[in-house]
Amino acid sequence: MDLRKITRISIMLSLAIVLSIVESMIPIFAGSIPGLKIGLANVAIMVVLYVYGFKEAIFVSISRIFIVSILRTGLFNITFFFSLSGAIFSLVFMFLFKKIKVFSIIGVSIIGSIFHTIGQIIVALIFVQNLNILYYLPIILVFSIFTGLLTGYISKQIIMNFDKNIDRNTKM
Amino acid sequence: MNKSDKILVSILLTILIPILILLNFSSSSNLAIVYYENNEILKIDLKKAEQEYEVNGYNGIVKIKAGNGKIKVVEETSKNHICSKQGYIDKPYETIICLPNKIVIKIASDSEYDATL
Repeated sequence: MDLRKITRISIMLSLAIVLSIVESMIPIFAGSIPGLKIGLANVAIMVVLYVYGFKEAIFVSISRIFIVSILRTGLFNITFFFSLSGAIFSLVFMFLFKKIKVFSIIGVSIIGSIFHTIGQIIVALIFVQNLNILYYLPIILVFSIFTGLLTGYISKQIIMNFDKNIDRNTKM
Repeated sequence: MNKSDKILVSILLTILIPILILLNFSSSSNLAIVYYENNEILKIDLKKAEQEYEVNGYNGIVKIKAGNGKIKVVEETSKNHICSKQGYIDKPYETIICLPNKIVIKIASDSEYDATL
């Protein structure tokens, strides 16, 4: 494997880890809605997805979950499965919607943000087994649309300015 | 943002906004229900003066303060303390979810309240 590629993917992984940790320190106040996050780590994941591809992105995404969990909340507890499910759902759907080429990177980012929420809710439903937890789903989804817009826009700017001489496997 | 992105956002908002309005468009209620998984473990009459309650969650005891029309979680065992940071809830359908503790607290809607009378 190309050394430059290994280095860049590693940098993106560290960026994703740092963004996750920094973000968990920023409380977001929006009424009394619990557990909101901007999802900045998704910027690093999207850059890898668009510059390299799905395999590399899933590697960065899952490694990030493992490392952040080891550092902060521990492995294989509910918080871990919550994050893992959100990350996998989000990336798989971003990959599929990127493939069908209907949406720009911003639309794909919104899809990712929404499926991140849905992936988490599914694990939450399996764990708590109480449908009342769906109460916050609509407002969190509205919030997801805007965070998806934001992270999509940031990713777009980064990818446009990413070193021009590396091979891109996609058009934005 | 291209045209299909805009259509995506519009469709999503058209579905979600009415749901949000419906959820916020309800009158008051005086009954809170505490669930562990899907089992009702405690019903609290919110008309009473404020008072503390304790229930058993997945990680240990969950302390609840309720009365004077509102309810909140005071203390629980979890990594992020999302539910105890949430503070009071007071509107029908409003919910506190202590995910790691499998505890769900919701304010009953008026129809559910009537059914218990």
